Amino acid sequence: MVDIRDFFGNSSGKGAKKKTLVAPVAKSLEKKVTSKLDSINKRAIAEVISLSDEDDEDFTNLTKKPKVETTSTSLSETEPKSEPRAVERNKRGDKSEFFGNSKTNKRKNKQVVVDVDDEDGDFSPENSDGDDDFNDDQFIGDDDDYADFKGEEKFGGRKRLRSARSPQLNDRNANKGFVSKELEKLPKSRTSTLEDGASVGKQPSRKKVAKSSIKSEAVASSIPDYKSSGISATDILAKIPDADLPEDIPTDQGFNFRDFKARQSTLPTGSNDIKIPEGAPNCLTGLTMVFTGVLPNISRDDSENLAKRYGAKVTKSISSKTSVVVLGEEAGPSKVRKIKQFKLKAIDEAGFLQLIQGMPEEGGDGDAAERARSKRLEEEQQALREAEKLQEEADIEAKKREEAIKRLQKNGKSAMPSNLKLDSEKLWTVRYAPTSLEQICGNKSSVTKLKDWLEQWPRKFGNRKPEKGETEMRAVLIHGPPGIGKTTAAHLIAKSLGYDILEKNASDVRSKSLLHENIGNVLNNTSVVGFFNNASQNSNKFCIIMDEVDGMSGGDRGGVGELASFARKTQAPLILICNDKSSPKMRPFDRCTLEIPFRRPSAREMKSRLMTIALREGVKLDPNTIDQLVAATSNDIRQIINLISTVSMTQKTIDSSNSKSIAQDWQKNIALKPFDIIPRLLSGQNYLENSSLPLYKKMELYFDDHAFVPPMLQENYLNTRPNRGNHLKQVAQAADSISLGDLVDAKIHSSDQQWSLMPLHAIMSTVRPGSLVAGSVSGRINFAGWFGQNSKTGKYYRLLTELQYRSRLRTSTNAIEFRLEYLPILVKRMLITLLSQGADAIPTIIDILDHYYLNKSDFDYLMEFPIGVDNTAPALKKIPTKVKSALTRKYNAGSHPISVYKPGTSTGVSSKSKEPKPDFDEVVEDDEPEDEVDE
Amino acid sequence: MSNYSLKLELPWVEKYRPQVLKDIVGNQETIERLKLIAENGNMPHLIISGLPGIGKTTSIHCLAHELLGKHYNDATLELNASDDRGIDIVRNKIKQFAQKKVQLPQGRHKIIILDEADSMTPGAQQALRRTMEIYSNSTRFAFACNQSNKIIEPLQSRCAILRYGKLQDEEVLKRLLEILKLEDVKFSNDGLEALIFTAEGDMRQAINNLQSTNSGFGFVNGENVFKIVDSPHPLIIKRILLNCINQNFDDSLQLLNELWTKGYSAIDIASTSFKVVKNMNEITESKRLEIMKEIGITHMRVLEGVGSYLQLNGMLARISEIK
Repeated sequence: MVDIRDFFGNSSGKGAKKKTLVAPVAKSLEKKVTSKLDSINKRAIAEVISLSDEDDEDFTNLTKKPKVETTSTSLSETEPKSEPRAVERNKRGDKSEFFGNSKTNKRKNKQVVVDVDDEDGDFSPENSDGDDDFNDDQFIGDDDDYADFKGEEKFGGRKRLRSARSPQLNDRNANKGFVSKELEKLPKSRTSTLEDGASVGKQPSRKKVAKSSIKSEAVASSIPDYKSSGISATDILAKIPDADLPEDIPTDQGFNFRDFKARQSTLPTGSNDIKIPEGAPNCLTGLTMVFTGVLPNISRDDSENLAKRYGAKVTKSISSKTSVVVLGEEAGPSKVRKIKQFKLKAIDEAGFLQLIQGMPEEGGDGDAAERARSKRLEEEQQALREAEKLQEEADIEAKKREEAIKRLQKNGKSAMPSNLKLDSEKLWTVRYAPTSLEQICGNKSSVTKLKDWLEQWPRKFGNRKPEKGETEMRAVLIHGPPGIGKTTAAHLIAKSLGYDILEKNASDVRSKSLLHENIGNVLNNTSVVGFFNNASQNSNKFCIIMDEVDGMSGGDRGGVGELASFARKTQAPLILICNDKSSPKMRPFDRCTLEIPFRRPSAREMKSRLMTIALREGVKLDPNTIDQLVAATSNDIRQIINLISTVSMTQKTIDSSNSKSIAQDWQKNIALKPFDIIPRLLSGQNYLENSSLPLYKKMELYFDDHAFVPPMLQENYLNTRPNRGNHLKQVAQAADSISLGDLVDAKIHSSDQQWSLMPLHAIMSTVRPGSLVAGSVSGRINFAGWFGQNSKTGKYYRLLTELQYRSRLRTSTNAIEFRLEYLPILVKRMLITLLSQGADAIPTIIDILDHYYLNKSDFDYLMEFPIGVDNTAPALKKIPTKVKSALTRKYNAGSHPISVYKPGTSTGVSSKSKEPKPDFDEVVEDDEPEDEVDE
Repeated sequence: MSNYSLKLELPWVEKYRPQVLKDIVGNQETIERLKLIAENGNMPHLIISGLPGIGKTTSIHCLAHELLGKHYNDATLELNASDDRGIDIVRNKIKQFAQKKVQLPQGRHKIIILDEADSMTPGAQQALRRTMEIYSNSTRFAFACNQSNKIIEPLQSRCAILRYGKLQDEEVLKRLLEILKLEDVKFSNDGLEALIFTAEGDMRQAINNLQSTNSGFGFVNGENVFKIVDSPHPLIIKRILLNCINQNFDDSLQLLNELWTKGYSAIDIASTSFKVVKNMNEITESKRLEIMKEIGITHMRVLEGVGSYLQLNGMLARISEIK
C-alpha cells in the first residue's frame, strides 16, 4: 500500500508539483466554505479564540478563517508559497480540531480533488466531479450533526481541551514547515477520492508518521483536541485510505486478491500500548459504523464491540446508510470503492478512539442520534407493552389455574397436574415459549411457508394416495441450528390450523419395524380426538412431527429409509425436523421432502423479545449488550434466555460492565468441524504474538477431531501464502513435519498403542506444519482427498484379489504379479481387438474370458484398472454401445466355465443358504429410496 | 495404632467431602448462584464443566440434597460413566424416571444427575433433547463434565452452563489446613507448598497426596511430598530447558544429572518437558514448536526402549541448537 510515510518523505521533492493544489478549488470553495463558515457556531469561535490565547499564531489563524478561500485562491494563482499555506493549514487544523472540521474538510477536499485532476493524468475528471458532489452532500449532513454536538462538547470539554491543547499547538508550530509540505502532499495522496475526511485527518496522521518520536505525544495530545469534533477523527481516517487508494484504483481489474490477503496478514501488529479511552455512555448512538481492514492496535472484534458498547450500530457491509467507516490498513478494495461510491466518511483507528472520546453522551443532538434514541425508546416501550400483555395473559392463566385447582379439590383430588404448575416453577424457556406465531423470532418467511404448506395440504393430498409422477411434496423437512424455534414453530402452526399432533423424537426408538408399526399404520388415519373434540368442524386432521431426525442412530436401524418412504406415500402431513441437513444420514430425504431452512434470528429480531422477558423478570438488560450475548451464543435465543435466567439470580443488571465476562462464560463450547478447524490453523493471524489462539488451543483443535484434522491439513497446506520465509522452503519443512507426524501416528495406531504420543502427533501433524505455512488461505478448504483415494485403493485391491482368485487355474502368480504382468496385456488384448474389429471380436473376447474363468462383470472390472498413461476409459468410449450390448447378450447366451473359487465366501456356503432371507432392516437402510419409487 | 488404621478406612477425599454448598471451596460466584437455586428452587438444567477435582460432582450432589432433602432418594437418578448410558438407557430408564410421579414440595423437581456426561455418546445425548424439554416441568437435568465441547450443541443450548475455574492456591491451602488440623498431621510449610504446587488447583489430588504422604511418612514436608508425587518437578524441568535455550548447556546438564540420579525415568522427564514447553509463553511459538518436536521425538525413542541418560543429553543438545 502506499504509505503516508512515503509521501511524507518525498514531499520535499515533490513540492513543486503541488502548485495547482489550491487553484481550481477557489471558486467552489468560496461558495461552500462560506456557507459552512456561516454554520459555524459563533460561540464556538469565541471559545476557540479564548482557548487559543496561549498561542497567538493560532488565534490569528482562527480569526482569519473566513478568509481562507481568498488566501488559497491567491496561492493557487501564484506559485504556492509555503508560508501562507502553512498559515492556512494551521487555521484549518485548528478549526477542524475545534469544530466539526466540516468546513475545513470541504475545503480540503476540494483542493485534493483538484490536485488529483491536475497531477494525475490517470484520474478522470468525472472522478473528481463525483467527489465534489459527494463532498457537498456528505458535508451538509455531517455538519448538522456534528456542529450540534460540537457545540455541546465545547462546554464540557473545554478544560480538557485547553490543557491538552498546548502541546499540540507547539507541536503544530514546530511542524509548520511540515504543514506546508503536507499541503503539497495532499494532492499526491489520492485521498481525494476518499471524500472530505481526508484533508483534516492528514494533519494528525502526518505528525504521527513523520515524526515517530513525536508521534505518541502528538496522538495523545491530539485526542483531547479532537474531542469536540467527531468529524476530525473521521478526517484522520481518510489519510490512511488515501494511501491505499492510489494502488487500488489503477489495479481495479488486475487486483490480486492473494497478494492483498498475504499482505494483509503480514501487517505488523501495533504496539498494543494504545489506551482505549472511556467515552460517554452511548456516545455513538445513531452512528452506523463499518469496520474494515486491520486496525493496528485493536482487533476487529474488540473494536466492533467497543463501538457497539457505545451504542453504534455496526454493520459488515457498506451501504449508503453507513455514517462512518473505520478503515484499517489494507482495507478491501471493494469497500474502498464503496466508500467512494456512497461518499462516506472514513476514519482510522486513532480517529475512532477520538470519536469515542469526543462524542457527547447519547450521541449528541444529531438527527441520526435523535432517531436512534427514539427508536430505542420505542423498543423499550414495545417491550413494556408486550410485558404488560404477557402479564395480562399470565393473570388469566393464573385465574384459570386456580379454578382448575378448585375444581380438582372439589372432586377430591389433591394432586396438581403438571400443566397446572405455577409459572415460577417452570423454566424461563418454557414460561416464555412463544404462544403464537407472531412471537417466533425471525424466520418469518420460513414460518409462513410452512404454514401455507400445511394449510394447503388437505386440499392437495387429502384422502388420496400418491399418483405416479406426482411432484408435490407430501412431507416437509425443517432444518436449522438448535435453539431457534423449529420445533416450536412446527407445533404452533399445526395447532393453529387445528391439527392433532403425533410427535416422535430422539427419545423414542424409531427403528424401521417400530416405525412401521406405530406410524405406518396411522398414516391414512384420521384423528379420533379431533373428531370428538370439535365435531362441528369435523377437524379430524392430524399431522406427524418427527423431531430430531438426524438423531436417529444406533438402535434406529432402517428408520431413516422407512421415514423417507413414508414421506412419499403419507396421507397425513409429515413434518421432519433436523439440525444438519447436509449429513449423509439425511440424504434419503433429499428428493422427497420440501425443505424449509430456519436461520439463526438476528440480534435485532430477538431484541424486543429479550427485552420483554427481562422486563417481566425485573432484570435490567442494556439493549446494547444483547448483541454481545447473541454473538457469544451464536444467535441461540433459548440459550440467551437460559443465560439471563441464571445470571439474574445473582445480578439484576446486565450492562456493558459485566456483559463481556458473562458472554465469555457462556460462550458455547462446541467441538468444531474439520472444515472450520483448518482455516484457523492456516490463518497467519493466529500465529502472531498475542493471538487469540495460543498454542494449547491450537492443540485442542487437533483433539476436536484427531482423525480428520491431520489429513485435512495435509490436503490444504499447499493452498496458503506463508507469511514468513520462502514459500517453497516453508512447504518443504511442513511436508517434512507431516511425514514425521505419520511416523508418530504409526506408533500410536500400530500394535504399540502409544497413546501418550498423541500430543506429539498433534504438534507434528497439525500445529507445526500449520505454523510453517500459515498465511492467507487462498481458495476454499478441500476435503481430505486421502480418504477417497484410500477407499479406492481398497476397492481395487479387492477387485484384484477377486480377479486373481478366478483366474487362478490359468495363472500362477500372486495378486501383485497378476496386476503387474497379466493385467496390462489382458486388457490391451481385449480392448484392441474390440476396437479394431468391433462386433466381430466378440467371440474372441468371450474365449479369452472363458480361458481365464472370468465372467462378464470381471471384464468390466478389468477395464477399470487404470493402466499406464490411462487411455482405457477414452478407448472404451469409442466402442459403440451396440457392440457392448452385443457382447453382453452373447455372453449371457452361452454357458461359461467357472473356477470353483467363490471369492469371499469360499468357506463353503452350502447351496441351501443360497437364498437367505434378506435381513429386512439392513436392506432398507442401504436401499436408495428412489428405487422404491421406480417400481 | 488400631485407632489410626480405623481413621484410614475412609479416604480423606470422601471423609471430607463437603456435604452442603457453603462448604464448597472456590468458584464463589457460581456457588453463590447454586445456593440461591437451592433456596428458591426451580433449578434450571445445568451443565457444570471444569477440570477434575474442583468440586463439580460434589456441588451437584450438595445442590440436590439441599433442594430435595428427604426426598433425595426418590427424586434423583444418578448415572455416571460407570453405568450403562447407551441410547437404550436414555430412552428407557431416564425417560421412565422423567415420567415418574414423585410428590415434591413446590418449586422442587426431580433431578437427573448425569456425571461425566462428556463420555456419553452423541446418540444418547440426542435422545435426551426432547426429554429435557417435554418433562421440564417435573424433571431437571444436571450434567457434570470435563470438556463442555463434548456435549452436543442442542443440549448446551437448553442448559445453564456453569464453568468452574481452577481453585486458587489459597483456597486449597485453607481446606488442607482444616484437614491437617482435624487429622492432627505434622507438617512443614514447604510440604504444604509442595502439595499445592503439585495439585495445580486440583483439590482431590491435593488431599489424596496429603493422605498418602501422611500414611507413608507420617510427616508432610516438601521432600516427602515429592517422593509420593513422583514426577520431576516442573520448575526444575523449566530451568533445565531455559538454560538450554540460553546456551548455558553445562548448567542444564548438571540439573538433568541431579534429576537423573534421583531416579526419575526418562519417560517422565520427557513428557514433563513436553508439557512445560507447551506453556512457556516467554518463548515464541514457532520456537516452542521446534523444541516440542525435539522433545517429542526423544519421547518416541524412549518409548521405543532407549531410555538412557545419553538420550536425554542428546535431547538437550538438540534443543540448545535450535535458533
